[in-house]
Amino acid sequence: MIHFLFVLHAAKAKDLEKPAEVRASRGPGSPHSPSVSPRNQHAILEAAGPSHVAINAISANMDSFARGRTAILKKQPSHMEAAHFGDLGRSSVNYQGQETRSRLSKTVDQIVRDTMAVPYYIQFMEARSADYLVRFWLEAESFRSTSWSRVRAHSLNSVKHSTLAEPTSGLNSPGSPDSPSGVRRTLGDATVDLPDPFSSQPPSRPLTPSPQDPNSHCGPGALLHRNSIGSDGGQRPGTPQQPHSRADTPTRQLSSRTGTPLKVPTTNALRDLSDKLMKSIERDAVNIFTKYVSPDAARPIPITEQIRNDIVAKICGEDGQVDPNCFVIAQSVVFIIMEQQHFIEFLRSHHFCKYQIEVLTSGSVFLADILFSESALFYFSEYMEKEEAVNVLQFWLAADNFQDQLAAKKGQYDGQEAQNDAMILYDKYFSLQATNSLGFDDSVRMEIESNICREGGPLPDCFTTPLRQAWTTMEKVYLPGFLSSNLYYKYLSDLINSVRADEFVGGNTSAPGNNMHSDSDRSTHASEGSQAQGTKRAAIKILKNFDEAITVDIASLDPESLYQRPYAGRMTFGKVNELGQFIREAEPEPDVKKSKGSMFSQAMKKWVQGNSDEAQEEMAWQIAKMIVNDVRHQTHHDSPGVKSTKVQRGCVI
Amino acid sequence: MTTAPYNYSYIFKYIIIGDMGVGKSCLLHQFTEKKFMADCPHTIGVEFGTRIMEVSGQKVKLQIWDTAGQERFRAVTRSYYRGAAGALMVYDITRRSTYNHLSSWLTDARNLTNPNTVIILIGNKADLEAQRDVTYEEAKQFAEENGLLFLEASAKTGENVEDAFLEAAKKIYQNIQDGSLDLNAAESGVQHKPSAPQGGRLGNDAPSPKEGCSC
Repeated sequence: MIHFLFVLHAAKAKDLEKPAEVRASRGPGSPHSPSVSPRNQHAILEAAGPSHVAINAISANMDSFARGRTAILKKQPSHMEAAHFGDLGRSSVNYQGQETRSRLSKTVDQIVRDTMAVPYYIQFMEARSADYLVRFWLEAESFRSTSWSRVRAHSLNSVKHSTLAEPTSGLNSPGSPDSPSGVRRTLGDATVDLPDPFSSQPPSRPLTPSPQDPNSHCGPGALLHRNSIGSDGGQRPGTPQQPHSRADTPTRQLSSRTGTPLKVPTTNALRDLSDKLMKSIERDAVNIFTKYVSPDAARPIPITEQIRNDIVAKICGEDGQVDPNCFVIAQSVVFIIMEQQHFIEFLRSHHFCKYQIEVLTSGSVFLADILFSESALFYFSEYMEKEEAVNVLQFWLAADNFQDQLAAKKGQYDGQEAQNDAMILYDKYFSLQATNSLGFDDSVRMEIESNICREGGPLPDCFTTPLRQAWTTMEKVYLPGFLSSNLYYKYLSDLINSVRADEFVGGNTSAPGNNMHSDSDRSTHASEGSQAQGTKRAAIKILKNFDEAITVDIASLDPESLYQRPYAGRMTFGKVNELGQFIREAEPEPDVKKSKGSMFSQAMKKWVQGNSDEAQEEMAWQIAKMIVNDVRHQTHHDSPGVKSTKVQRGCVI
Repeated sequence: MTTAPYNYSYIFKYIIIGDMGVGKSCLLHQFTEKKFMADCPHTIGVEFGTRIMEVSGQKVKLQIWDTAGQERFRAVTRSYYRGAAGALMVYDITRRSTYNHLSSWLTDARNLTNPNTVIILIGNKADLEAQRDVTYEEAKQFAEENGLLFLEASAKTGENVEDAFLEAAKKIYQNIQDGSLDLNAAESGVQHKPSAPQGGRLGNDAPSPKEGCSC
């Protein structure tokens, strides 16, 4: 058991760094968009326009928070007394807004934006033949954000070569300088705030008229048609979409655009990039349309004709621009369907359990993961009660809820009512006659007093300081113990059981005989089941030196591999081979962390997600040992405690 | 079988829901502290209390989440419904409006909890007979129509308070016994832990016919 703890701790320590980095690099866009990889983030940042500054400010704020929190976690705690509320969270100023996410996410919105959760959600939806909804939403969302960045990149470039082209602007058509504002006039589309990418279009670029029927305007058919043509070299994205320009020559282009006739050749490269960007937007839009929106698609999303036409119009905009937001309405329709028809079932499904297991065994579990997941909270509450620290948790729950509901009002709340609520908390936890005093020091108490007695009532950040302290205390003092506790293992094994139960069709988890309330019953049934080959679902108890067990479905293992004993031998520590090298023959140290990750998480992954052969073999070997032990123990009643502790320690699963 | 007070085999998660002022916190307090809180402040968000009781010969700890009834807390309290094994839906027999709102609470409960969560309807303030506004019969009928257990109770006198929690617990335990509630599933609202450390016999139920390794 101890060794297992070490493994888990080692794994956790190592992985602490990673998630923080991922979090820290979450750049522009919604804070909940982990789907964009760090590399993409940088690309977006580079391509972004003036909004880059604002976005950076926001993300810097989040970064400092994330880094601050990582710093806390890496620091050696000075004291571990329950009463010691060291404000180790001093550097994490704005913890409040960021901490509402448990990676054991709960809302549809959180799931679709969580790269770890999405595959499970897709699997679930596939089982219901509804995955096209999710895929459409994801592709449309990705399209939207990348299109905006492409557009910005494009505009950045056009600004660049507008500047470059300045000296030659004398050749410009009158009244049409190379400024974006002038160009925007010709666009005439108020909703699309884009600088005209065509402002720098050179006349020398061959503009082959689209081979399409000039009369067919941009409809689904036209889109499909154009798609099949392939990328038209040199053709501006917007060009074929304008009926009147199709038959036209470049000169028409010139007069409707405000490009300068002659360009400095060095800007060609930039222009190429711009072209490619705009074209790629169009291509992607058409792709998505064909796959999901068009009535000819394999599984068209259930949107009205009106919405479909709207999408078409936005893709084939008259200005030649694809509106990056063209799918937004359809997305929201699909989103609602997912939310109302599928999501609750997902949360009850074994797919969601699998996801939770993955999060919880990833090696780094954060307090947020526990506190914002009601199933984890159930176990954590019990733990805190046993640790006699339940008041900290109670305070945190109450104050956090108070602030949440206040913040949700967005300023439209009754200050008096809020003050009354806050006073209740004050009386209970802060006042000198508090019934559940937590020992906050005077400075905090006075800060709370002034926050509550504020003119107009308390603000939604009224309790931020003590909340932060309570959070830090739970995180530093109690979370590590919890994650190494019985209760946590029980929670994980319950999750695994849920997966197993669901994965078996008609899976009622009771073995024949049905009395589920006794662990010993279960194990004996299970062990016998494993021996009696007829049992469909033989379950083997693995972890025995505790009250709890993690059971594994042996049917999922290759029977042959159960008996492999790669380390069976002469029980020597090792030997020297012909090259003079010492080959170790003893079992590997159980608490040496393998490169693939902790054995525990490896085991979980194996059962939960499928496995590689080597992992399977390894697990099978370990399981085999346990089975052998079990059998031995059962058949030799007179030799109690046969469970070889040595072997057990080695079989940390 | 040891009789240590903290030796419980199960933990059931309960939630208490209902309009504000019906007496949810008082019911909880009466149950856990055996005292009546005369003027307790309203609940902010959620609080939880626990108590161990004996259910069908088993020691069961109840972890009871008491939610705020004020509408403004409705959104935050919803997140605590999931994974509850039992739910106490409380109304005040002296205020008809609290009874009328039950369908809304029931909808939330059904949507957000498991299909086999045990819901028990509690008509609180049964000691205020003179101000009764909801008859026993009609509430009983409502409960039957919706598959709910039903009791009238008084947090003030303690009448039926224990029973309220106990009846729900019995039903939950029964569900475990007949297999409709998977004891070892997450989100079932039940934690199962053998009361004895490893090597010992489990529980004080009848010895299993196949006595073997008890770990």
